[in-house]
Amino acid sequence: MPSSEILVQPLARRLGLLLLRRGSLLALLLILAVFAVSAPNFLSPGNIANVFAQSAILGILAFGLTCVVIGGGSNVVSGGLDLSLAANLGLCAAVYSSLNNAGLNAAQAIGLTLLCGLAVGALNGFTVVVLRLPPLLATLASMNLIAGLELVLTQNSVLPTDSALLDILATGEWLRVPVLAWVLLGVALLLGLLIQHSPYGLRLYAVGEYPQAARAAGLGVGRYVFSSYLIAGLCAAVAAFCSAAFFSGSTTGSGDMLLSVVAIAFLGVVFSRRLVANIPGTLLATLLLGFLINGFQLLNIASFWVNGVQGVLILLVVAMSSALRKEEGGQ
Amino acid sequence: MTSPALHLQGITKSFGATRALDGVDLRVEQGSIHGLVGENGAGKSTLIKVLAGIHRADSGTLAVDGQSFAALSPRQIEALGVHFIHQERLLPASFTVGEALFFGRELRCGPFIRRRAQDREAARLLREYFDLEFPAGALVSELDSARRQILQITRALLAKPKVLVFDEPSVSLVKREVDQLLAIIRRLRDQGLTIVYISHYLQEIQSLCDRVTVLRNGRAVAVVDPRSTSTAQIARLMVNREVGEMYPKAVVTPGEVVLELKGLSAGLAYRDIHLSLRKGEVLGLTGLVGSGAKELLKTLFGLVQPEQGSVHLQGRLTRLKSPRDAVRKGIALVPEERRSHGVAPLLSVLENLTLAGLSRFSRWGLLSSAAQVRESDRLIAELGIKTAGHDARVSQLSGGNQQKVALGKWLGKGCAVYLLDEPSVGIDIGAKVEIYRLIGRLAKQGAAVLVLSSDLPELIGISDRILVMHRGALAGEFDAREVDSDRLLACATGARELATVALECEQEPAHAFV
Repeated sequence: MPSSEILVQPLARRLGLLLLRRGSLLALLLILAVFAVSAPNFLSPGNIANVFAQSAILGILAFGLTCVVIGGGSNVVSGGLDLSLAANLGLCAAVYSSLNNAGLNAAQAIGLTLLCGLAVGALNGFTVVVLRLPPLLATLASMNLIAGLELVLTQNSVLPTDSALLDILATGEWLRVPVLAWVLLGVALLLGLLIQHSPYGLRLYAVGEYPQAARAAGLGVGRYVFSSYLIAGLCAAVAAFCSAAFFSGSTTGSGDMLLSVVAIAFLGVVFSRRLVANIPGTLLATLLLGFLINGFQLLNIASFWVNGVQGVLILLVVAMSSALRKEEGGQ
Repeated sequence: MTSPALHLQGITKSFGATRALDGVDLRVEQGSIHGLVGENGAGKSTLIKVLAGIHRADSGTLAVDGQSFAALSPRQIEALGVHFIHQERLLPASFTVGEALFFGRELRCGPFIRRRAQDREAARLLREYFDLEFPAGALVSELDSARRQILQITRALLAKPKVLVFDEPSVSLVKREVDQLLAIIRRLRDQGLTIVYISHYLQEIQSLCDRVTVLRNGRAVAVVDPRSTSTAQIARLMVNREVGEMYPKAVVTPGEVVLELKGLSAGLAYRDIHLSLRKGEVLGLTGLVGSGAKELLKTLFGLVQPEQGSVHLQGRLTRLKSPRDAVRKGIALVPEERRSHGVAPLLSVLENLTLAGLSRFSRWGLLSSAAQVRESDRLIAELGIKTAGHDARVSQLSGGNQQKVALGKWLGKGCAVYLLDEPSVGIDIGAKVEIYRLIGRLAKQGAAVLVLSSDLPELIGISDRILVMHRGALAGEFDAREVDSDRLLACATGARELATVALECEQEPAHAFV
């Protein structure tokens, strides 16, 4: 039987897919090319390594969100979403700073901070899986709760701190590449293996995309969704170390990163053949945004333009992928 | 003699006051294809859910391969080798063939999935079982529904089952795909599997099964051999014959044609439908799930756009772009999901009754509440709506009374055409009769009424003419006074008229379905 008979995709959909996938890669290359020509030093190894390092915080948060979106389904309204990621980062950074300043040893401070991130993830998992709240609302509520906790802890001020770990993260280099860049790549590699190449990842995709099918296959749907929030919480804690290194302590206003994180995670969708959230796509999207910001800085363009570009990108991607999904229709 | 592969004895199951299963026996022999047929609501799906461990039977025993159990959990029954192919295709659309086949029990190397090995193994299994090649790297979303079905069967076969239960597997398949599926099921039986096949397409049952259990009203009324029993006989066994004095029918002489469909087609749903509806006539429309009857009604609601053909309303070519558009053109819609579409449950009876014709109660954009109260009280009395008053919320009313509100809101408007989708589903007998009376009165007032219903005795009772759809085409038109449920069901299931079927079966049983 000729394979053309088996593929029942209409032409318009295939063109749309092609445009979306190739278009986004093309856009990435185009942006690089434009900046390479117009911005001095844009393509220098130092600058590129710099972009990687500066993208680490956003990227790691976006990896966490990617896992949640995979496990909860990619429907923006009813699917998986974790709006508390940025606030969780703020809280973890504050917790680490105050523990470190209180004189706990490195292992204790780091361990408790990771635990804090996990606890927030568990809270989100609990409200979504056990209380069955829509993730959008559940994590919106926990975002406010966590931001409040952070304020209580920091009295709305910056908690400066210093430790060996932060020194290494902030100034360390390996093979002339900053440690932060290695952290980004390391987390990407680990989660990439877990999500794209392990049975856990495949099952997480099944749970998110078609819970009934996963249940029929004997998978505990709730457990997988819960675990995706735990991963997100852990990512927030790891990103919190990077942030603390970057700012030499906790900062106020970590919540401002939320929009960028959501943008990156959904932008990552277009870098996959199947139009699903995925770790390599999220990494590419992180770098795309990183290069954009970096290029704007090199060209001395006001940084608020980046916000506008981000907004447009979110709109475009969400609109296009939902239109394509609609065409796919009910199974 | 070997013990039966499956043996259910005296299974009884009640939901509240209704008895869904009443002492049902089902005996499935090793290596046979056993059919299970019955009307909607006869208890097929409840029986299967009891077998699958989703429902727990009130009484009765369940034996697998000679071993008796009182009740089993879904996991236990799977461990015993009984697997289910559900009606829905339970496969994630963005998965590749290999992933969809193996997720949940992946082939792995250490902590990682062996994607290549899975794809290779998937290709090998599909070739071995079904002699099929899927394009390399194809995603589930790119496969048609028959191939998804095959993929799901393969998934079940991975667990090396002894018994496979197919629950209405052919509903969303087209003819050619059904033939393919039946051939595959026969092959599985020849490989030694025991098959339970649930369907209401009698042709499939006839050509496929070795034995058939017929369910009616929660009882197993007969176990027959389809080779010596015609589809029409099976259809007769399925039908409930009690037709009481439930149907007050006013005699009306139909007037001129109000609504006419010419050669209407919409994709795979239905094709080439010609239909005319006259003033003062009640036209019944029926068909099984997947027959296209529902989609046809949706087209008239303005929800589905036809691809070919035309709709003529009172002689004029019309396009129904949306439900709003249909209402504006004088069509009254009473959808099946009355709670979500037919009435606004949180609004009062008065508001619901006057919603459709608010312009009649308003002057210079303001509502006249006195006129609204008068009209709604009149309708409440006239329709016998049991409510605490016109201020009561509709959500507090019983299903039957909600339906009366849904119908009543159109009454004062004097619509020319009424489209009713399953008007009596989920309401009690008493309220049903009142709904039927109301339909009769609509026709008497000169409205043209189209009723879609799967309750055949009801349709015969209230309609003048009945159209039956089968797999997207009009399969027959009957005068309601001269037809009985047997013939309607035979037509809807694709069995032919009694005499011809009996004749064909004697001559060439293998070709009972064509």
